[in-house]
Amino acid sequence: MGRRAMNECGVYVWSFRMCVWKFKEFIPVLQVDPLSSTDLAFTLSMGSSVRLYLTCIRNTLEAAMCLQNFPCQEVERHNKPEVEMKTSPELLLNPVVICRNEAEKCLIETSINSLRISLKVKQADELENILTKKFLRFLSMRAEAFQVLRRKPVQGYDISFLITNYHCEEMQKHKLIDFIVQFMEDIDKEISELKLSMNTRGRLVATEFLKQFI
Amino acid sequence: MGDVDEQMCADKPLAVEHHLYEFGSLQYHIQSYVSQANQVYLSISTHILSIGSSTLHEFPHYTLEDVKRICHEVVQIVEPTKPGYQLTLKLDFTKIPHKKDAVKIITKISSLQSIILSTQLRELLKNVHDQEISQGTYKPIKLVYHPNEPFYVIKKPAKLTAVFPIRFKEHSDMVIAKAFFQELVDVGNSGVCARAPPCCWSPIPPPELRGEPMRDLSTNGGFVSFELSARHVEGKKLDKTVWNLLNFYALVKYHVKSTKGFVQRRMRSRLESLVEALHHTNMEEDHNVKKVTGRRGVKKLIKFTRNAILKKRWNLTKKIKRIRSRIRIIGFRKFQRRWLKLPSFSSVMSYQKLDKS
Repeated sequence: MGRRAMNECGVYVWSFRMCVWKFKEFIPVLQVDPLSSTDLAFTLSMGSSVRLYLTCIRNTLEAAMCLQNFPCQEVERHNKPEVEMKTSPELLLNPVVICRNEAEKCLIETSINSLRISLKVKQADELENILTKKFLRFLSMRAEAFQVLRRKPVQGYDISFLITNYHCEEMQKHKLIDFIVQFMEDIDKEISELKLSMNTRGRLVATEFLKQFI
Repeated sequence: MGDVDEQMCADKPLAVEHHLYEFGSLQYHIQSYVSQANQVYLSISTHILSIGSSTLHEFPHYTLEDVKRICHEVVQIVEPTKPGYQLTLKLDFTKIPHKKDAVKIITKISSLQSIILSTQLRELLKNVHDQEISQGTYKPIKLVYHPNEPFYVIKKPAKLTAVFPIRFKEHSDMVIAKAFFQELVDVGNSGVCARAPPCCWSPIPPPELRGEPMRDLSTNGGFVSFELSARHVEGKKLDKTVWNLLNFYALVKYHVKSTKGFVQRRMRSRLESLVEALHHTNMEEDHNVKKVTGRRGVKKLIKFTRNAILKKRWNLTKKIKRIRSRIRIIGFRKFQRRWLKLPSFSSVMSYQKLDKS
């Protein structure tokens, strides 16, 4: 099996480092499959529901959200989120990608004083595609209301969060994680409801239009 | 029209001038003068239905004949027309009867646009017999109502097919319209609208349109077709059918626009609920700490602090001293030390260590 491996259920496997090894004891469905001396691979069985995907993200965030204040090493009296600047590799942890399937994944990048979470939402057809784009762009443009939301998503993803040590000081860590997980559920639910509402409206309009011929 | 009705109901003569615009590049102009109190001038500007590449700048004579027949006593065509408009009518309110008949006449005047459109399309469809026949079917008739939105009518022995090429500038509009066309086809095939003309959608032009210029057949929204039979065009249904066909593009665009507005409203309300959820993560708003309230008797016991006891003892001592200072009795001091000494009270807050024995 190479870096991109397929298990017996046909799910893509992504690799990450030893520091995430301890999550195995929290998630019984995870199967550890070491690919090389430095890389570890986790697989999610195809039969697991979205609940396991969200649980995996929650546990990863609980481990990753250990942030502390760290002034910029390069510029005096500056304090920047190191996950965005990426100037000092010793301050960055290894990024983690958690995939539910090809269309749905989560990228978690951690540094000493900041954490970036990028989400790719599932889009089954063209209509869901445009609804997701519209909705997430609408939220991103109003990022100041969310405080932890990034105005522009990371390339290849639909929406991104940036959490710094200041956010962790103002807000409770476990509630912040709850918010992000709940946000993911709400986005899926809202997209589905929007699609259903649009189809219902279209059906009503079509019925009224055709009734005029009768 | 509300303006016409209002003018009719006004007690005093008013000078009125209104410009009204309707979806589909339709303009109305209503004007009345104080000197001519019971007369209103109504002008209309709309696209004229044309066949193929030819364009008309004024209404054909059969359209004007049908307009005169609305109510020849009330409506008169004014020549020349107001500049910028194709038709100007003079409405004489003195000849409008009262009560129910007045409403009927005003409703007919309000549907001027539909009358103009239906007469034009009806004449065009009547003249189909003169069109050349190609491969057993009549050649498709290209009708241009809006400048960049032509549609085709194909006459067949037992039915009439109307084909609408759909084009949108934005990709999101096209996706919403496609979803609507899918619902239109599903509803048409269901039992609810069994008597309605069958409707179908295809991404490629239907075979009847072969030979038409590529410029007219290049679309991004596909082609919507309606198959009309005799029962859809007989009697009074002809006007309704013609009105629906000519306003199909306007219906689709209005549906797309209102759907986008609906999505925007939903997103705004969802934003508020998501932001509210985030505000609960603030540390200062943690209301999980429980406050325990005790009974009143316990509160009274708690008030017996060391200071309170010492204060009470001092007050009693002071009182006794005051009494002692007035009368001096020999030997009273000994008696006082033995019998009038105050007992020491143990504090409620402190505890006494019990002996192990």
